[in-house]
Amino acid sequence: MGTTASQLGKDLLSEYQELTFLTKQEILLAHKRFTELLTKDEKDLPNTRVSMERVLTLPELKSNPFRKRICYVFSTSEQKDGSLTFEDFLDLLSAFSDSATLEIKSHYAFRIFDFDDDGTLDCGDLEKLVNCLTGETDETRLTTEEMRQLINNILEESDIDKDGTVNLSEFQHVISRSPDFVSSFKIVL
Amino acid sequence: VKEFVALSTRDRIRAIRDLAMSFEEKKHIRWVLTDKQLNLYCYTCNKLHSQSLRRCGYSIRSARQTLELWQGIMKEIGGKFGTSVLSYFLFLKWLLMFNIFSFLINFGFITIPLLVYDPSPNIPPNVSFRGLEILTGAGYFNYTVMYYGGYSNETLIGLVDYNMQLAYFFTIAVYMVLCGIALIFSMASSFKENYVLADTVSNSAWQLLCSWDFSITNERAVRQRKNNLRVQLKESLSERAQRELLTLSEKLKHFGVHLGSWLLSTGLAVGCGASIYYLYAANWSLLQEAETLLVPFVVSLMNLVVPLFYSLFNKFEHYSSLGRQIYALVVRNVLLKMSILAVLCYYWMNVVAEKFSCWESMVGQALYRLVIVDFLFLMLGSFFGEFLSNVIGTRLLPRLGVPEFDVARNVLELIYAQTLAWIGIYFSPLLPAIQILKFFILFYLKKVSLTQNCQPPRRTGRAAQMQTIFIALLFFPFFVGALSIVAYTAWRLTPSEQCGPFRGLNNTFSVVGVWIDDLQEIPASQWVVWIYQNVIRSEIFYFLITLIIIVIIYIFWQVTQGRKQLIGQLRQQIVNVSVLHP
Repeated sequence: MGTTASQLGKDLLSEYQELTFLTKQEILLAHKRFTELLTKDEKDLPNTRVSMERVLTLPELKSNPFRKRICYVFSTSEQKDGSLTFEDFLDLLSAFSDSATLEIKSHYAFRIFDFDDDGTLDCGDLEKLVNCLTGETDETRLTTEEMRQLINNILEESDIDKDGTVNLSEFQHVISRSPDFVSSFKIVL
Repeated sequence: VKEFVALSTRDRIRAIRDLAMSFEEKKHIRWVLTDKQLNLYCYTCNKLHSQSLRRCGYSIRSARQTLELWQGIMKEIGGKFGTSVLSYFLFLKWLLMFNIFSFLINFGFITIPLLVYDPSPNIPPNVSFRGLEILTGAGYFNYTVMYYGGYSNETLIGLVDYNMQLAYFFTIAVYMVLCGIALIFSMASSFKENYVLADTVSNSAWQLLCSWDFSITNERAVRQRKNNLRVQLKESLSERAQRELLTLSEKLKHFGVHLGSWLLSTGLAVGCGASIYYLYAANWSLLQEAETLLVPFVVSLMNLVVPLFYSLFNKFEHYSSLGRQIYALVVRNVLLKMSILAVLCYYWMNVVAEKFSCWESMVGQALYRLVIVDFLFLMLGSFFGEFLSNVIGTRLLPRLGVPEFDVARNVLELIYAQTLAWIGIYFSPLLPAIQILKFFILFYLKKVSLTQNCQPPRRTGRAAQMQTIFIALLFFPFFVGALSIVAYTAWRLTPSEQCGPFRGLNNTFSVVGVWIDDLQEIPASQWVVWIYQNVIRSEIFYFLITLIIIVIIYIFWQVTQGRKQLIGQLRQQIVNVSVLHP
């Protein structure tokens, strides 16, 4: 299907509207911004894959601390290199849109925070998460003692079955008690 | 997938959309299901009909999104400053909707019939329009449809017989009731989402980490947020360690400081109220119109200065958490505003209502002046609070830094402004028009001031809970207070003899009594008369309803207690199961 043609067909548009949480304007805007990322030759090919570096030039993703993880999670390429097709891009925007359900958002948030892709958040994932959000340089990181204390507090609060890791249901349980999550897990073009 | 086949088309679409799979997989599932449906029943006719309905629904959704007011500006503010600052602007937009609705129904049901029937207001010959009326609201405006006094009490005979008395009474009553219902519903749903289902411990590290705001696009803002988050995490770690370290003498000292500052703040609030009362009692003369501006001036000055004074108390007091600090500040500000409003209303109801002939218009004018002067002071407050703080913080005293946008104080100012409008609807039906203009200009003013002068807030979190508190504050005590003032006026006070739609009656409610008496002669509407006499006027009905509601509340409370126990048991069960099957 020619998704990178300059006009989106009506059937395609209604299919996208059915399968994502986006409205028609949002889909058209996404199409416009996606085609701006393509070179002139790629615009005529159907189903082009855009590399991660080019996707990360979008201003909405450029300064996000989780930008690389977001690309990896939503990418459907076999090489797992984070490249996105237009449909992956729509999937991304749909999960981050206003009308997405809490289950979808928490599911994708879990996958983004799961740095080693093993299906649970263990101490290594949590440590990488905290470092991602506090800073990269040595002055801005937490000390080892503080990190250990913090991870202990987190596990004490969210690990219901006391196995030392946070799995998807425990994560979703904590998220459902946080009223700010839905409004902060949002990217709008 | 098999269960999706049994669902209706709309549910199936929603179910597929809710799957957390990649796009390709969702398309495949949808294709498989549509294929299966081909064999089931009348494919073409069903599909076309439901598809066109669905497309209609989508286009309505897109149209609604384009028509929404200030969408682009909200997104910009949310991206740079985060959700707590954005909640102020959303609150402003929500209040604006109330005023637009009020203006439309007041203008449509009360003013337009009067203007159609009698287009020229009967102004006495020596009064003309001078510029001062815009500030004082008296003079020329006094004789127009702006105030209660400009409305007639007759039944206007035109295409239909339009009873002005009933129209005035029912328009205002219906508006207040609808406002109350809207507030109750939004307060209840906000309370359910943000308090019951949420964790009230918001400085927990996990909540902070999960609430990273993904919509921030500014590089500098992201770096600042990371810094703030690190500071907050370190603070929460040290707070946990320090919680047991206070000795008895330190606790006593803290208690003494708290008691002292609460006494001081309550004393300030009462003092402000008393001084307004004496100012009013001493100065009520209409000889010079500019003098009437003195009381609104003093009121707005107090509303501007005293909250800043309260914020100073934070330097001396040490609260155990930021949440408690904000709550204390909010409660003190609410006390101040309530005491000022209470004194003003007391004066209007008791002194003005006895002394003057067309007293409702007088009260309407006083409210008009309060609204206008409040607007001027809000603009001044923006100047002092944000622009000057920015100048001082960056050039003169760099230690202070760039100011933050104080959401709590600004939202309370909005709530106060809206309360004035709600009280004023009965006395001046077109006051919502002024309020609409005021909020419109205020939005752009605050947005410019925010982007030029302020930095994003240092501490994140609690946005949803603060929103619940603001809606709850808006309902009680401010809306309930305004409603009781209007109800008291309609019930107990005698309407003035010479002007207004209720002249000659004992009190405003007797309009309904008169109407019911008229209806008794028409045989077709006996059921209305029956409802009025046996339901609304009988005390047993209210007693029974109250009893039934209390019983239902008790049953629901017991159910909630049972559910809490169930949650505890389930948690224990999960721990037990995971121990048995590691």
